[in-house]
Amino acid sequence: MPASEVPRDEQAFLDYVQSGGKVEATDWMPDEYRARLIKFIEMHANSELMGVLPEREWILRAPTLQRKLALTAKVQDEAGHAQLIYRVVEDLGKPRERCLEDLVSGKAKFHNVFHYPTRTWGDVGVIAWLVDAAAIISQKALLKCSYAPYARIMKKICWEESFHILHGRDVVLALVTGTPAQFELVQEALNRWWGPLMQFHGHTIPADEDPMVIWRIKSQGNEEARQQFLEGYVPQIRELGLEIPDPKLRRREDGVWEYTEPDWDELRSVVTGHGPKTAERLAFRRRFLEQERWVREAVLAA
Amino acid sequence: MSERAPRLLELADDELVLGWHESEWTGIAPTLEEDVAFSSIAQNEIGHARAAYELAAADLGTDADALAFDRRPEEYRCAPLVELRLLDWAHAIARRWLYEEADAVRIAALKADTDPELAGLAAKIDREEAYHRMHAAMWHERLRHEPRFREAVEELWPYAVALLPQELRPELAARTGLALPSDTLLQGKERGEHTPQLAELWDEMTSVRRSAPAGARW
Repeated sequence: MPASEVPRDEQAFLDYVQSGGKVEATDWMPDEYRARLIKFIEMHANSELMGVLPEREWILRAPTLQRKLALTAKVQDEAGHAQLIYRVVEDLGKPRERCLEDLVSGKAKFHNVFHYPTRTWGDVGVIAWLVDAAAIISQKALLKCSYAPYARIMKKICWEESFHILHGRDVVLALVTGTPAQFELVQEALNRWWGPLMQFHGHTIPADEDPMVIWRIKSQGNEEARQQFLEGYVPQIRELGLEIPDPKLRRREDGVWEYTEPDWDELRSVVTGHGPKTAERLAFRRRFLEQERWVREAVLAA
Repeated sequence: MSERAPRLLELADDELVLGWHESEWTGIAPTLEEDVAFSSIAQNEIGHARAAYELAAADLGTDADALAFDRRPEEYRCAPLVELRLLDWAHAIARRWLYEEADAVRIAALKADTDPELAGLAAKIDREEAYHRMHAAMWHERLRHEPRFREAVEELWPYAVALLPQELRPELAARTGLALPSDTLLQGKERGEHTPQLAELWDEMTSVRRSAPAGARW
């Protein structure tokens, strides 16, 4: 293995990552960089794991064998992503068991969209199509992450997420071309999900003030990601005859999308553990973490 | 009904209902590796169900989805073993192991059937079930000295026996090293009888599909 080029000095390290340098798990890194990586990547892993729960409830109710298989496969992918991403966190120094304890105790965070209920089959389509579309925009930007092990697994994850979007769009398409009641399932779900989707990429922080961008963990600003989502998906949503519940939404001549300011109070409240389903989902996950502790102990003792 | 349709439906209904129960572990298994493994097994089981439904549907002049979703609960031919909703790992893994053992006996018999389509389907299914058996055997090996696992096996053993027709039961006993239970212990667990869990499962499983008129696309 060639000697690492990563400088062992904080300022030189910063210059190194800012000029496109990559960092491996065994390299020296500043404490702040490591801490920010752990926090960010752990939240990503938590989100994949908690993202299983809202869709898992609908595997049983999937209305055809094909949909049941596709949804099961999608949910399996999310669990597999959680496993891969927790391993990256483990290599940075935080064991998986501690991540899970921090998750179920409410200490660690997960993405806003996984704190909401999935009320109908329409939600299944809207989540797989639009929530995954919003997520893949963030994840694609992570392909350039300065921390190379994270960037590498993101390739596999982005590849799989792009299939989820196709599955979601297919579910939505079948519904919008079905009976009026089926169409309404999608419209009603979209009405509920639009707010959380607009909050998903976070506050508009200038990229040069965002520590995640400064350390080159992220390569795009929040607003840039949101604009990309709007540019890619608003026309597609409208093409299906669906109405987006934002009267201010419009594309300016210069190509920038204007929209109603997302409800940042709601975002803050939800990600700090006060979402409509936060307590119930964490309690559910905690129940199984505790109930099955004996299994992990038995396996480790064997 | 064709002669082979009932046998196909027994197999398909077992795999569908069990496949659903296994998929329920995604996200809540003892380890993330098992979340993924159970989900993978569930997908295989549902895929096997679909293949068997398709073959039966061709004989019966219907389609696989109609067989999977549009019958009344009492028309399903699954065995009570797969109907039980077992959300604790000792029972879930005990059923996994027992089901795979019983299924191995059934699949071997189907592979030897004179009907080439039936034998072909069984051979196809068996290729994936081989991995399920390895997974189940590994867990059996790990947990066989754990009291709660042993109790779960003991409790579910009569259900596993009742999944098979009489003539195949001694072979299952030989494979597992467990003694065949008395007729009293088999009461209420034989195929053709249903647990209350099936009706609950059916109600949930068909709820979306029933919400639109028959023939709607999903």
